[in-house]
Amino acid sequence: MISQIGSLAISLSGGLILSTFFFLFYYSIKKEKIFLDVSERGLIATCFCVILATLCLLNELLISNFNLQYVAQYTSYETPLFFKVTALWAGQAGSLLFWTFIMSIYSLIYINVSLKKMKELKYWSYIILSFIFGFFLLLSNFIANPFEPVSSDIIVQNGNGLNPLLQNVTMAIHPPTLYLGFIGTTILFVMALAALISKSFSFEWIQSIRRWALIVWTFLSAGIILGGYWAYNELGWGGYWAWDPVENSSLMPWFILTAFIHSSMIQEKRGMLKSWNILLASSTFLLVILGTFITRSGIVSSVHSFTAENLGPLFLGFLSSLIFFTLYWFFKNLDILKTDNKIDSYTSREGGFLYNNLILLLMCFIVLWGTLFPILSEAWNGEKIYVGATYFNQLNVPIGLVLLFLMGVGPLLSWKTTSKSTLLLNFKYPMLVSFIVGIIYSLFFGIFQIYPLVTSMGVAFTVTSIFNEFRKSYKKSKRNNQSVSSAITKMLFANRHKNGGYIVHIGITLLFVGFIGRAFEEEKEFNLSPGEEIYFANYIFKLNSIKSEARENHYAFISDMDVIDQSNNFLTSLYPEKRIYFYWNPDPEKRQPHSELDIYSTMQKDIYSIFSAYDAEKNQGYFKIMINPLVNWVWVGGIMMVVGSLFAFWPSRRRNDGAI
Amino acid sequence: MNKIYTSLVLVFGLIVMWTVYLTNIKDSGLTVRYYSIKDLSSKQVSIPNVKVGGLIKPDSIMISDQDQLEVSFFVYQGNDSLKVYYYGIRPDLFKDDAEVVVAGSFADNLIVATELQTKCASRYEGDLKNIEKI
Repeated sequence: MISQIGSLAISLSGGLILSTFFFLFYYSIKKEKIFLDVSERGLIATCFCVILATLCLLNELLISNFNLQYVAQYTSYETPLFFKVTALWAGQAGSLLFWTFIMSIYSLIYINVSLKKMKELKYWSYIILSFIFGFFLLLSNFIANPFEPVSSDIIVQNGNGLNPLLQNVTMAIHPPTLYLGFIGTTILFVMALAALISKSFSFEWIQSIRRWALIVWTFLSAGIILGGYWAYNELGWGGYWAWDPVENSSLMPWFILTAFIHSSMIQEKRGMLKSWNILLASSTFLLVILGTFITRSGIVSSVHSFTAENLGPLFLGFLSSLIFFTLYWFFKNLDILKTDNKIDSYTSREGGFLYNNLILLLMCFIVLWGTLFPILSEAWNGEKIYVGATYFNQLNVPIGLVLLFLMGVGPLLSWKTTSKSTLLLNFKYPMLVSFIVGIIYSLFFGIFQIYPLVTSMGVAFTVTSIFNEFRKSYKKSKRNNQSVSSAITKMLFANRHKNGGYIVHIGITLLFVGFIGRAFEEEKEFNLSPGEEIYFANYIFKLNSIKSEARENHYAFISDMDVIDQSNNFLTSLYPEKRIYFYWNPDPEKRQPHSELDIYSTMQKDIYSIFSAYDAEKNQGYFKIMINPLVNWVWVGGIMMVVGSLFAFWPSRRRNDGAI
Repeated sequence: MNKIYTSLVLVFGLIVMWTVYLTNIKDSGLTVRYYSIKDLSSKQVSIPNVKVGGLIKPDSIMISDQDQLEVSFFVYQGNDSLKVYYYGIRPDLFKDDAEVVVAGSFADNLIVATELQTKCASRYEGDLKNIEKI
C-alpha cells in the first residue's frame, strides 16, 4: 500500500512539474499574477510529493518490503535499522530520489524565505527550478524508479544486504552531507541566472546568495572531510585522498564556490565583478552536474564509478543544455553587468581576492584537466591516458602554497590601496615569525625537503597575520576596561562575518600542517607468529596472540600486538582484525573479508595497523604498519573550517550598506 | 582591461599552457596509458607504465605458500586475458570475478603490478542473489 502511494507520488510530481511549466508559459503571455501564483503552488506541491515519495521508500526499507527491487538489493533482514535508513541513498534509484528530496527542501526554503524579499526573481527562478526538477523527475519516473517491483515470477526470501564497508557511521553521514553541499549549488545557479535574466542585482540578492553560498560551502567542506575521514579509518590504505575522479568531482565545485565566496565580497563592498560572480555561482552547479556525469557514466575509470547503470548521455545532455542556457543569457545581458569601479592597485584587498580567485581557478583547472584527460586524450589520438597522483601533487602543491601565504597576506591589505609604510608595518611580524619557524624547521629536518619547509613557514606567516588581526580587534574591544573574556567575546561577535572567515582560514592552515606529515610517512609489511616481534620506525611491534571468535554478523580473527617505544616503554596495544562477513554462506564467493584497522592516534602521529591476512596452518599473521605523522591536524582543521563557516553564517545585527 | 586583470589573465594562461604541456610529454612520469587487455596481449614489446582494468578470472588466483603477500592471477575482458603478478596487501574485495584496476610494467605477456585496486564499496550494484524462481 505504502509503496503504491510512493509510486503514485513520484508520478504525480512529474505531472505537477509539467503543469507548472504550462502555467509559467501562460504567465509569460498573459502577465496575470494568478498564473505565477498557481505555478508557485505547483512547484511547492511537487516538492511535497517528492518528500512523500521519499518517506514512503524509507518506510519500505525499514519494514523490509522485498517486493521492491530496490529494497531487496540494498537491505536484508540482518541489516541494522540505522543502515536501513542509509540504504535510501545506497543505490542509483534511491540516491536520485534522495537528490530530488534535498532539492525539494532547499526549494521550499528558497521559495518561502529568499524569494519573499526578491519577488522580481520569482518568474525566472520558477522556470529554472522546474527545468531542473523536470530532469530529475524524468529519471526517477522512467529510468531509475525506486518503487520498481521485483519480477512477478520470483519471490525474494531475503535481500542482499549492505556492503560491510558501508556499515560505518561516518559513511552514513558522509553521502548526505556531500549531497547537501552538491544540491545546494542548485539554488546558487537559480539565483544567479534569475538575477542575470531579470537584470536585478539588489542588495538583498548579494546578501542572500552569499548566505546560501556559505551554508552550501559548509556542507560541501564537511562532506569532503568526512569522506577522507571514512577512507582513512575504514579502507585500510592509510591515506585520505587519492585524487580519484569521484573525489575530484567534489573538489572542483569546492574550489569555485570558495572563489565565489571571496569575489562576491568585492561586489558587496564595491559593486564590482558582477559578471565574474555570475559565472562563478553558475559554474559551481555546472561542475556538480559534470561530476555527477563522470560518476554515473563510467566514462573515466574510477574505483567509485557506478558503471552498471549508464545515465551518462542523459546527464551530458542536461549539462550541455544548462551551459548553453547560461552562456546565452550571460552574453545577452553582459552590458548590465559592467561597472565603473576598477581595481587599480596590486596591493589592495580587492587585488588579494583576485589573486585568491586566480589560484583557486587554476587549481580547479588542474584537477579538471587531470580528471578529463583520459577522455580528451582518447578523443585526440585514440590513446586513453591517465594522470596519476604525481600530476595532481606536482602541480597543485606549489600553487596551494601560494594560496596558504595569500591567506595571511589578505588581512594585511586595505580596501582600494595599501600604502608602502602600512604594508611594511603589517608584514613585519608575520614575516619575522615565518623566518624563525623556517630556521627552526631547517635545524631539525634540514632544507632538502623544500615543500614541508615552505609549508611550515606559510602556516606560521598566516597564523601570525590572523592572530595579529585578532589582537588589533581585541585592543579595540578592551578599551572600556572590560574583563578579558567579555572583551574576547565582544571582539569575536562584533564582526562575525570577518572573524568566522579567519577561523576558517586557521582551519585551512591546520589542514596544511596535516599535509606536511605526508612527507614523513613510513610503512612496512611483514608477517609474525605469536611471540615474535619486529623493529620498525623506532618502535618494537610484538605479536602476543591471534584469537578468533564468531560474532553476530561476522567471524573475526583478532590480533593482539604490543607497541614498545625507543626507551623500551610500553606505548600501546593494537588489535587489528581480519573479519569475514557472511561467513555462514556455504558459497565462499559470497563471503566478504574485511580488514578492521586499529589506529593509535595522537596529534603528533598515528600508528596505523592493518591485519591483512592470516595463515591458519602456520598460525602466522600478515600485517602492514604505517607511521602517519600529523594526520589528526587534518580533522581538527576540517572541524574548524565548518565551525568558522557556521560562525560567519550566523546573521549579524549590523547591516552593511556597501555599494552594489 | 586594466593592468591587474591583464597580468592575472597572463599568469592563468601561462600555467594552463604549462599544465597542458606537462601532460603531453611522454615518459614524464605523470601519465600512464590505459590499455584494453586485447590491445596489450597483442604487444610483443615491454612497456614500463601500463594501466589495465578487467575482471579476475575465476580459479586463477594463486597465493604463494611461502608468502601470503605474493599473488598471481589472470585478469580478463571477454575472451582475452593476461597474467598479473602482485606482491603486497590485497584489497578486501579481491576475489574471483571482482572488478580490478592494475597498474605496473608489462613484459612477456605478464603485468608486474605495483598498484592493485578493486572497485570501491561505494559502487553498490549487484544482481539479486537470494531469490527463488516460482
